[in-house]
Amino acid sequence: MPEQRLSKEAVKIWIMKGAIMELLGFSTLGILFYLDYLFGWKDWIGWILIGITFISVVMAVWALFIEPFLLYKNWRYEVSEQFLQLKFGAINEAHHLVPMTKIQSVATNQGPFLRKYGLSSLTIQTMGSSHSIPALPEETAQQLRNNIAQFAQIKEVDE
Amino acid sequence: MNEAKRYHPLIIVYRIFKLLRNSFVFAFYLFVIKWGAESTFLTYGRLLFILLFGFSIVSIVYNWFTNTYKLDNASFHIYKGLFTKTKRTIPFSKIQNVSRHSSTFHLTFNVTSITFETSMADKDASVSFPVISREEADRIDDHIANPKSFDSNDVNTAQTDHSRTIHFTPTKKDIIRASFTSLSFLAVIPIMISLYSKINRMMDADRTSEVLISSMKDSWLVVSILTVVTIAAFVLFGIVRTIVKYGKYEISSDGERIHIVKGLINKTSFSILKSKVQAIEIKQSPIKRLAGTAEVKLTSAGSLDIDEDTLEVNSLYPFLPVQRAYDMISEILPSYEVTSDMNRLPKKSFWVRMLKPSWLWIISTTVLFYFKPSVLNVEQAWWIISISLCIIIGAARWLDYFHTQYTLNNQFIQLKTGSLTTTLFVSKRDKIIEVATTQNVYQKRIGLSSVKTINRAKPVKHKGVHDVPIELADSFYSWYMRRYQETKVE
Repeated sequence: MPEQRLSKEAVKIWIMKGAIMELLGFSTLGILFYLDYLFGWKDWIGWILIGITFISVVMAVWALFIEPFLLYKNWRYEVSEQFLQLKFGAINEAHHLVPMTKIQSVATNQGPFLRKYGLSSLTIQTMGSSHSIPALPEETAQQLRNNIAQFAQIKEVDE
Repeated sequence: MNEAKRYHPLIIVYRIFKLLRNSFVFAFYLFVIKWGAESTFLTYGRLLFILLFGFSIVSIVYNWFTNTYKLDNASFHIYKGLFTKTKRTIPFSKIQNVSRHSSTFHLTFNVTSITFETSMADKDASVSFPVISREEADRIDDHIANPKSFDSNDVNTAQTDHSRTIHFTPTKKDIIRASFTSLSFLAVIPIMISLYSKINRMMDADRTSEVLISSMKDSWLVVSILTVVTIAAFVLFGIVRTIVKYGKYEISSDGERIHIVKGLINKTSFSILKSKVQAIEIKQSPIKRLAGTAEVKLTSAGSLDIDEDTLEVNSLYPFLPVQRAYDMISEILPSYEVTSDMNRLPKKSFWVRMLKPSWLWIISTTVLFYFKPSVLNVEQAWWIISISLCIIIGAARWLDYFHTQYTLNNQFIQLKTGSLTTTLFVSKRDKIIEVATTQNVYQKRIGLSSVKTINRAKPVKHKGVHDVPIELADSFYSWYMRRYQETKVE
């Protein structure tokens, strides 16, 4: 079973990203409310807007105060000479097992938030799918990338 | 031989023929239907058409002069272009399967087409000879199966067993069974409809049919004779169609490869290295289940398209008697093992499946509830539809639960799923390129899990079973971890 965890800063990053998304969402709703008030749209539109707002508030609480912690708590990965293992998800749990020999490419990526905390994410492409490990300390990510690249070079007979 | 060669000259004729066929509609529109009509659109349209047509002809000829190919003892070399030259090298080891197809065109000139498919994702993933002489096709095919150096005369000592064993050719009984189970006699219906509408247009058919119907009313004899004749025509048509499609069928294998040859008029053949078979699937539709037949398909990492249309070339005979199908798998693929000893889902997964909310039903019921459409003047139609949909979904889930079976058998995995048409999927541990297990909230609570496998194919093949016991998911995971027992590394 995989043991390695993500960087603890991941939680902060997810909260910040979430906050921005929520801000955008709520400002759109605000504009809609204002337009509703201004043009006196039909009644049922108002009710739908109120409904959406209610749902959004619940979703926001989930996205900002619960989800990031759960995600962090349940993310595990492991890279060995033979397999890449990923395990994640609190409510729906997924457990992936990818042989190193089937990995086609591996890359580290860094957006502005990740850069701020000195983190990187790792994306791994295989013949059949693509996976990513969201937030790792920069050196770990680079080390992993190089390790995977090296392990993946080994070819199975009869490719 | 070691010189780069041009393709068969008939390829020019073939391409021009295809060009004519493809541009026929435009030409007909521009020069026949709208003949005499003048408009800016038409004038420029005609000009553009002639220019493009001329250009295509020139490029077809130019391509023939500049495209060449060469084979050495390990790979294909494909050369293109005069000004911008491209050279592609495709190692024989990357070839997944070989297919040949002879259409009416090919048969007229006693040539054939051959395509070597690789697993690359690219558009240029295959080496294809749209027109090639039979001898050359055989030569290339043999050369790839057993590459020897052209320079030195030393015959390769590693002679493999090339004697072919024929495993299956359909008997009369098989063909008749196939023609009924494939329901191919139903294909007569669209033909009759189109025929009828054509006749309708030509003459005032309404009156004729009125007369026909009124005269038919008079005599029961005429009606029954007509019915018998129609049914006979249906059956005859079905049998003829089946003979044309599946009549000449031959499954054979030698030491290394499996060969499938089919088609009475248009011949298609498919061959694949045994070691390149990624998985096997045994499919059964309800009718085939009744008739006791099944279809066996081989999964290849190369694509299976010939000439733009996907032919079911990878299918061993689609109407094999079930027992014969199982026996044949072990005959042609001795490294595969199919066991009939499989596990069924536990009771608790039945309830998980039945109680899972169906989005299809929820959404369609909401829509129906909102619009309340009346069908055929029945106002209650909306809830009747909703309830029937619910019953259908329930029945499909029940059937799927009933049909689902799975087992891990040494290095093999077998998964059987499907509500109406069932599919038994068999693959080997070293051919599976990735696995995953997932658990949703309900599954977690009662100790179930879903397992998934990914195999190479075009497009990539995802297979899996939902709601298996968690113990199976765990053993599946560790089973896959042990794949390094079989795989060898370079």
